[in-house]
Amino acid sequence: MQPFDLQVPRSLEDALALLPKERSYDGAQLIAGGQDILTVMKNDIAAPTALVELDGLVPGEIEDDGTGGLVLGATATIQEIADSGLVRERFPSLAEAAKSIASPQIRSRATVGGNLHQRPRCPYFRHSGVSCFKKGGNVCLAEFGFNKYAAILGGGPSYFSHPSDMATALIGVGASVEIAGADGATRTVALDEYYVLPDEALDRETVLGANEAVTRIVVPAPAAGVRTTYLKFKERESYDFALAAASVSVVLDGGKVASAKVVLGGVATKPWPSPEAEAALVGQEMGPDAWRAAGEAAVADAVPLDMNGYKLHLVKGVLFRALESLV
Amino acid sequence: MANSNNGAADPTWGPRKDLDVLNRDDLRRIDGPDKTTGRAVYTHDVRLPGMVWAKLVRYPRARGTVKNVDVEAARGLPGVVHAAAVREAGETIAFSGSDSVVALVAGETPEAAEDAARAVVVEVEALAPVVTADQARADGAPVVRQRRRRPPKDNFSGLRENGEPDEVLEAVAGAAAQVDVTVEIPTQHHVCLETHGHVVQPGEDGEPPVLYASTQLVSVLGQQVDDAHGKPRVLTPHMGGGFGSKFSFGLEGKLAYELAHELGRPVHLMLSRSDEFTMGGNRSGSWQRLRLGADAEGTLTALHLEAEKHGGMGGGAHAGAPYHYEVENVASSIQSLHTATDANRAMRAPGHPQASFGMETAVDGIAYQLGMDPLELRKKNLTSPTHHRQLDRVAQEIGWNDHPNRVAPGKADGGVHVGIGFGVAGWGPGSRKCQVDVTVEPDGGVVSATATQDLGTGARTYVAAIVAEELGLGIDQVTARIGDNELPPSVPSGGSVTTGSSAPAVKHAAHLAREALEAKLEPVLEAPVGSYTWKGGRVSVTSDPERSLAWREVCALLASPLRVTGETQKSLYHGRIHGAQAAKVEVDTLTGRVRVLKMVAMQDQGLPLNRMALRSQINGGMIQALSYALLEQRVFDAQDGYLLSDSLDTYRIAGSREMPELVAIIDDDDERDAVSGMAEAPIIPGQSAIANAIYNACGARLTRMPFTPDNVLEAIHGKV
Repeated sequence: MQPFDLQVPRSLEDALALLPKERSYDGAQLIAGGQDILTVMKNDIAAPTALVELDGLVPGEIEDDGTGGLVLGATATIQEIADSGLVRERFPSLAEAAKSIASPQIRSRATVGGNLHQRPRCPYFRHSGVSCFKKGGNVCLAEFGFNKYAAILGGGPSYFSHPSDMATALIGVGASVEIAGADGATRTVALDEYYVLPDEALDRETVLGANEAVTRIVVPAPAAGVRTTYLKFKERESYDFALAAASVSVVLDGGKVASAKVVLGGVATKPWPSPEAEAALVGQEMGPDAWRAAGEAAVADAVPLDMNGYKLHLVKGVLFRALESLV
Repeated sequence: MANSNNGAADPTWGPRKDLDVLNRDDLRRIDGPDKTTGRAVYTHDVRLPGMVWAKLVRYPRARGTVKNVDVEAARGLPGVVHAAAVREAGETIAFSGSDSVVALVAGETPEAAEDAARAVVVEVEALAPVVTADQARADGAPVVRQRRRRPPKDNFSGLRENGEPDEVLEAVAGAAAQVDVTVEIPTQHHVCLETHGHVVQPGEDGEPPVLYASTQLVSVLGQQVDDAHGKPRVLTPHMGGGFGSKFSFGLEGKLAYELAHELGRPVHLMLSRSDEFTMGGNRSGSWQRLRLGADAEGTLTALHLEAEKHGGMGGGAHAGAPYHYEVENVASSIQSLHTATDANRAMRAPGHPQASFGMETAVDGIAYQLGMDPLELRKKNLTSPTHHRQLDRVAQEIGWNDHPNRVAPGKADGGVHVGIGFGVAGWGPGSRKCQVDVTVEPDGGVVSATATQDLGTGARTYVAAIVAEELGLGIDQVTARIGDNELPPSVPSGGSVTTGSSAPAVKHAAHLAREALEAKLEPVLEAPVGSYTWKGGRVSVTSDPERSLAWREVCALLASPLRVTGETQKSLYHGRIHGAQAAKVEVDTLTGRVRVLKMVAMQDQGLPLNRMALRSQINGGMIQALSYALLEQRVFDAQDGYLLSDSLDTYRIAGSREMPELVAIIDDDDERDAVSGMAEAPIIPGQSAIANAIYNACGARLTRMPFTPDNVLEAIHGKV
C-alpha cells in the first residue's frame, strides 16, 4: 500500500468535488467500510493519493419506505442488514445474502454500498505482479490459465466472476440505486441496468461515474404472496465468495408458478438475471421437472473454460436447491 | 528395576492411578494465559532499540535471467536505511522460492521498508516457467535442477525400484479382485500462524549476536550461522507453529544476520505471507498409480505402485509401499519429478498422508468390489491387534454398525447422502539424547530448564509438570524455562522426537533432584533414599507417614541451590504408535457439496503426559487433514509462472464452519509405562477416511485432492 491522504469533508458535495472526473490508478477514491478499497490498495491495483471519508455523509439507516418497501442507506453495514427485522420480514433473501458474506469481522465493517462496488476477486487481478485487461493491461491470463473460479457467462475479453452477493440478491428483488453527482444532481438507476460487461468497459464494473456515489438503495414492496430465497455455494463455508449463487423469487398459483425471478451470482462477469430460467418456470408445476428445466435454461448459453465446466452442474444444482427450499 | 546400594532407583513413570499432575484431563497449558492475552512475545513481536525493519524483494515469476536490479530510487526514500541487490545481471533465477529474492531493503519503519521494496526496479527476462508436473514431464522440458557433474537429462531423479514388477502385475491381473487407480495430490503448505524469520541483534564489544528465531531447533540453529561474530545466542520463548518447515536459518536468516552486522543495528526480518507461501516450504504433491489385487476372501495378494513425488526443487516424500497393510507380493517404482518451485520441506509426517491416500483408496476399492465390509477387509490385512482394536472403536463411535451402506455405496442420484470411511495410521516417534537441569532453591522455588522449543504442542507445560509430579508439587510451583540455547541442549523438533527425548530427561532430572533431597532428609527423617513419598506439597516416610516435612521445610535444609542435570533415559521412552480414524460425511450429489459431519480418531500413546494437550494434538491432526482434504491447493499460473495462491484468501484453509464434531480417543488399553511424541500420526489418514466416506455415500471415487466441487462433480459426471 502506498501512502495516501485521508480527506474528511463536511458534506457529500465537498466529498464528490474531491474526486477526479476520470478514473485512474492514483486518483482519489471514496472509503466507507474500507473492506474492498484497502485490499485493492494492498494488492497495488490502485494507489489513490487520497481517500475521501464517506462516513456520516451518506445515510446508513435501514428504513421503511411507507409502502411496504425499504430504503437502505449505502453505509448500512452488511451485519446490520443481516440482523434487521424489517429486512428479514420483507426480504429474507437480502438477509440471507448478507449473512453469507465474508466473516463476522468483515460484515461488521463492510457496507452495502461497498459490497455493490467490489472490484473483481480473480487471483490474477489481485496479484500485484500480474498485468491484466482489468488493470489496463492487454491480456486475461484466466482465459487460458487458472480459471476454476472464472465466469461461464458474460465473459470476454475478461473472465472474472462478479463477487457481490448483495447485488445478486438486490436485483432479485427489483432494487434501484440513488446516485449523487458532483454538481448536486441525483439520478436513479435500476440495479439490473447498473452493471456493465467487460466487452462494454474494462476499467469499471458499473455505470457509476468516477465522481459519483451511491447514497441509497431502494427496494420496492414485494409482490403479494412472493417467496424469495438467496442460496450461495461457497467452496469454504467459513469465508468465501460464491462459486455459484442464486437469488430466486416465485409467486405460486395453486401448484403452478405464476411468476418467477432468477438472478445468478458467482458465475458471470456481472450479476446475471436469467430470463431463460424464469421462462422455463412460469406456467409449470412447482416441482423437480420445472427446477431441472430452469437449470438447463440458465446455462444454455454458458461457455465454460478449461477448469470451470463444473459450474454448469453447480448452477443447476444450486438453482434446484433454491427452488426446492421455496416449496 | 535396579536398586543401587544406597536405595536409589532408576526412574519409572509409576502406576497411572498414583499420578496427580500427569495423565490428567484438566492440566492446562501454563503459557495459555500469556498466549490468549497477547503477553507472549513471539519473534514477530520482538522490538529492540535501534531496530530496523527489513524486507525481501522478489521476482514474482518462476524462472528468468536477471537483466537489472536498480535500487537507487529506493535508497533515496525517506526512512530507508538499506537497499541493495542480492542478484546480479546475467544471473539465472532458477525457481520460484528463495531464488526469487533479488534485493534486500530496510527502513526505520515497516512502511519505509515497504516503500523501498516497491521502488526497487527489477528487470528479468522470463524463461519458460516449468511450474506444473505436465510441464516438467514434457519432452524437451527445460531441466530445472542443474548439476555440474553428470547433468541430468530430464526433470526426474532418485528412482527407487523394489520388487519384481512383471511378476506383481501378473499376480494382480490374475487376482479375484483388482483395483487400478491413479491419485493426484496437490502441494500443501504448512501455513504456520507465525511466518519464518528472525530478529538479529548483532554481536559487538565481545558480546555474541542474539538471534530471536522462529525455529524448531533452538539448540543447534547457531551451527548454521557463520560464527565470525561469536557463537550466537538463540532465543525462542514462543513460536507460532512450524509443522516441519522451520529447520533452516534460510536465506532470510542469512540476509538479516549479514545486514545486522553491516549496519551495527538489530534487524527484524520476518517473511510476509506472500514470501511465506513462495519460499517457506511445503508438503510435496504426489501422483500415484496403484494396482492392487486380492483373493476372493479379501486377502491382499499383490501391489504395484508407481509414484512421482512433486517436491519442486526438493526430492519430495512418499512413505513407500505397501502402506501399513500386509501384501504378499509388492513392487514399487518411486521417483521425484522436479518443477521450478520451492523445495518441499518436512511437514508433519512427510510422505505419509500421500501414501495413505493412495493405499487406502485402493484398499477401499477392493472391499466394495468384493462386496465386503471395508472395515473387515482392513482388519483382515492389518497384523497389529492395536489397529484392530482401534478400528473397532472408531467404527463404533462413528455409528458404522447402524450404517446402511456397509458393503455397497449409495448412489449419486441427485440426493443428499451420508457416508462413512476409514483409514489407519502409524508412526515411530524417535528419541535422542538431551539434557535438563532442575534447580531447587532454598526458598522452595523450582526451575526446570532445557533448550527445547514449544511449537504449540505443550512442551513447556510438561517441562514443569513432570517435575511437579515427581516432587509432589502443584504445577504452579515449578517454573519451566525453554527456548534458549544457553540452557541444557535439546533436540530439533522433527519426527515427533521432542517428547520422547525431552520428557525422559525431565523425568530423570526430577528424579535426581528428589534423590538428592532425600539424601538431605536422611539425617532428619531417618529413612534412606528411596523410601519417601512426595505428595501434596509434603514428603513423608513411606512406611511411617507421620514422619514428614512440608516442601518449604525440605528446601530450607539446603544451604545453597541444588542443581542436577538429567539425561534422556531410553527406559522411559517407547517408539511405536498406531492410530485409526473414521469420517462421516454428507454429500449433496446435485451440487457436489461435501460436509464432514464427524471425525473420530484413536491413538495409542503409552503414558499420556497431558490428556488435554494430547486430545488437542489429535484434534489438530484431524483438522489439518480435513483442510487438506476439502480445500488446500497450491496454484501456479502455468503460462507465466506466477504463484496465485500466495495469500490466505487464495490459499484456503478450513475455518470454524468447516469443523465437524471431532472425537479424539486416547487408547487407554495401551499400558506401556513409557512416553513418546505423537504429533505426526493423527494427521496421516484423515483425508483418506473422508474420500472413502464420499465413496461410501454416493459411489463417486475421489482420486484427486482436494474434494472441492469441481473434483466432486467431475467424479460424478465426468469432465465438462
